[in-house]
Amino acid sequence: MPRRYRSLLQPTRLAALALAAVASALAWSRADAHVVPPERLHPVTESYRRMGFLLSLNPVLWNEVGRDATLIADGLEAVEPDGGRLYRSSVASLLDAAITATGGSGPIPAAERRATARDVFHLSTGAVIDKLDAHLALARARLDEYGRASLELGEARALWAAFEPALQAIDAGAYREHGRRWLELTSALGTPGVLGAGAVAPDRETFEREAARLMAFLDATFRAEDAAAVPERVFRVSPALLPVTPAAAAAPGLLPPGSEINKQLPRPRQVLNMAVRGVDEAETPLVALGDMAFDSPEIFGEPARSLGMSCNTCHNKGVTNPRFFIPGLSVRPGGLDVSSSFFAPHAANGHFDPVDIPDLRGIRFTGPYGRNGRFASLREFTRNVIVNEFNGPEPEAMLLDGLVAYMLEFDFLPNAALAPDGKLTDAAAPAARRGEEIFHRPFAAMGGRSCASCHVPGDHFLDRRRHDVGTVGGAEAGSRDRALDTPTLLSAAFTAPYFHDGSAPTLRAVSGHFNDFYGLGLSGPELDDLTAYVETVGGGAQGYEDTVFTLASELEEFSFFLSTYELLKARGENELLDVTFKTIAFEVQAHKWDVQDEGRLPVLDRLTEIMVEAYEARRRGDLAAVDARVAEYRALYEDHAEVLQ
Amino acid sequence: MTAMPRFRGLKSLAISPPSLRDENRKTLRVVLPALLFALIALAGAAGAQEPLRIVFIAYENPDQLVENVEPVIDYLEGRLGGEVEHFAATDYAAVVEALRHGSADVGFMGPLQYVMARRQAGAYPILGEIYNGSATYVARIFVRKDSGTKTLADLEGKTIAFVDPISSSGYMYPLDAFKSAGLIRTRADADTFFKRVYFAGGDEQAIRAVLNRFVDAAGVGQFAFGLLRGGERDQVVHVAESRPIPSHCVVVRKDLDAGRVDALRDALLALNEGPNHGLLEHLYGVDGYVRVDASTYAEVEDIARQYDFIPASGSPAP
Repeated sequence: MPRRYRSLLQPTRLAALALAAVASALAWSRADAHVVPPERLHPVTESYRRMGFLLSLNPVLWNEVGRDATLIADGLEAVEPDGGRLYRSSVASLLDAAITATGGSGPIPAAERRATARDVFHLSTGAVIDKLDAHLALARARLDEYGRASLELGEARALWAAFEPALQAIDAGAYREHGRRWLELTSALGTPGVLGAGAVAPDRETFEREAARLMAFLDATFRAEDAAAVPERVFRVSPALLPVTPAAAAAPGLLPPGSEINKQLPRPRQVLNMAVRGVDEAETPLVALGDMAFDSPEIFGEPARSLGMSCNTCHNKGVTNPRFFIPGLSVRPGGLDVSSSFFAPHAANGHFDPVDIPDLRGIRFTGPYGRNGRFASLREFTRNVIVNEFNGPEPEAMLLDGLVAYMLEFDFLPNAALAPDGKLTDAAAPAARRGEEIFHRPFAAMGGRSCASCHVPGDHFLDRRRHDVGTVGGAEAGSRDRALDTPTLLSAAFTAPYFHDGSAPTLRAVSGHFNDFYGLGLSGPELDDLTAYVETVGGGAQGYEDTVFTLASELEEFSFFLSTYELLKARGENELLDVTFKTIAFEVQAHKWDVQDEGRLPVLDRLTEIMVEAYEARRRGDLAAVDARVAEYRALYEDHAEVLQ
Repeated sequence: MTAMPRFRGLKSLAISPPSLRDENRKTLRVVLPALLFALIALAGAAGAQEPLRIVFIAYENPDQLVENVEPVIDYLEGRLGGEVEHFAATDYAAVVEALRHGSADVGFMGPLQYVMARRQAGAYPILGEIYNGSATYVARIFVRKDSGTKTLADLEGKTIAFVDPISSSGYMYPLDAFKSAGLIRTRADADTFFKRVYFAGGDEQAIRAVLNRFVDAAGVGQFAFGLLRGGERDQVVHVAESRPIPSHCVVVRKDLDAGRVDALRDALLALNEGPNHGLLEHLYGVDGYVRVDASTYAEVEDIARQYDFIPASGSPAP
């Protein structure tokens, strides 16, 4: 048995460095608001970073932790069979105890949860270090076989990435020192040359010296006796609260591997009522303010702000982002637990209850709001999202008014198959027409009601009431906490998956659920017809944009944001001016690499700079300079709008 | 670190830009079985029209590459009217070896590898790749924007990461940029001009070493920049670039029948436009090909000789 496993579970003290190191090892691929390729990590590194994040949450999803532990165990077992087996069984017994105590996902006492998290994380840290050590040793042993040594060193280097974000965040000097150490190691491999020409012999002495120093550092920093425990507060720390170095400051947004907060392409087609009517956007500043706020991370608090997240991240173009996923917070793509400890610890509810991201189309017709209809007012609901779901400061009245004004413009997709009264038109297919009859058919099993009783066709296919339709697991037998607000069916064909938690992947699965839950006795063909009907009701013209090139339309939208300048200035809304300038600067930067002609990048950089300068001038009260910067932005954009594609 | 199990790098091995291809040349993996098979096939082969055998260099996953290029193979078989076999090597040495032993007729390689292997392999180039609209590319010296470095001279006494000791864009041409600036004369000079010279094992590793402040500068191919993310790109800048490097080339073994060489060259050139243009996607994503001969690489050879990559007494390019 490797010596390092012996003392693993002893309670120990923790050096400050190791504390912060471990806390930030919870991480964390960088996440930009904009479309970026995922970081490609060694599977073991990925599991280790993700596991750290999972263990920092409340509640902890122990089964998901177990999946990552299995991957780490597989990786270790491949090079160190005894150590791998020991790690696997040690973690398994810890997780078994936690899972038994929680019955799967329920709460367990905080102290117990944190102790288990600490032990699992420390075991895993040891396993990753052992695997790294084994590959370094293999490389050392095979230095004369260049290909093999290179392979083994590559494995070790990829495992080092498990610890890099931590080190980078807490000790930039050590991070650089050891980064150079890996360069020493790769350089020491030499090269076999081309058929012997240009060959450079390996530098065994350097390799051995640097490898030994690296392992000594890892052992001392991440595996030392002092570091054997991860204190409770580490796991409560959110990334934004970590010590920040300049390097970390440049990349503060950290989410676990496997996260996806990029928006989808092509984007959903947004139908704004005012735009359809041909209204001049320059003359609707409150809507423009809301549009800006909807795209602004500035209105949220940490960590969402540093992650570059805004309303638009989840409700992309006011619709949904079916790709959105954060391990530990999402149960499937397109969903998120908005009451977890991660985004707004003060408002956490302590249990895992992710919801499917709702489509906001036609939102002025779909109140009350929230999956369980807990808010009658869209304004009140929106405030709660900002303050209690994403940790933002109390929003200014005008900002909330703007957000509401903007959202009130969201229309459903036009649908030629649907008449104003909610009946199908001649454009609907025969199957949908047969389904319409079923939809209106009273069922004894539903107390004489039909589907249409709740999804009222004449009122946007909803009834503004809450019903228990068997999709919520209640707190206890007989509890009354299973009711959900009836959702509209309009535009629903574009917003899979379904139900409050996204548990039904298709509309056919939804039909099947109701058939089973109420015992309706519908046949397969009848369910197909019913589904065809709902798909027709939920359909519409062109659900997605017809291009994936979005820079030009984004820049046009940023100009729209700036159309609020005169209004905000006249009203002395300085904070909103600041938010506007910062948001435009952020957005231009986030989208600039979309430009097809990179020779235009300086223009985009200048647009960013102008907004930063406007922000700074506003802060020091130099209003003439603010005027000048806004005018300059508008002129520069106008001059280049045609070529910034 | 360049490594066989590459967990970072380009999204698809089939579209590696040329400067990034140097990095994996040195890894030797699955080529041996393929070579062996090809050798056995060669030994047993007879008849007037033997299959044309192509060895591709794979930068990531050789099995995948072999699969990816199949549409190209089908096309070539149609054009050439005979069987075309193909396999992947992960190492330029293996490509050279295959051409030398006649187990491959055609191979793909970088300019420095070609000039280093020219005599041993007895092979000659017939086509150069056009990438990003150009038959040449450049190496660049990157520094952090906030480093205050403005010229190459500022890097005296500093640290630098190159890609690999045998690399055109990741070592030799960056060195040459320092020579052009009058800062060094020989490869050995570099060791005294810089405080320390590292080989990072790959373009991405080298440019990230600058980004993360492990070193003061990196000498890499121009396309390394594209491996950084948006916010990262804003942190680095290049302060110099090399003279143009002829792009990677298609080489054939010296005694391949001239008629077959012409047919192959025409078939590949025909991809530059027309209905089959899309097939280039499977050939490292190049834009097309341009005719080259050994003279195209004369300057590469000259530079290689100056930096002792090949013996000074070596025969000049034919």
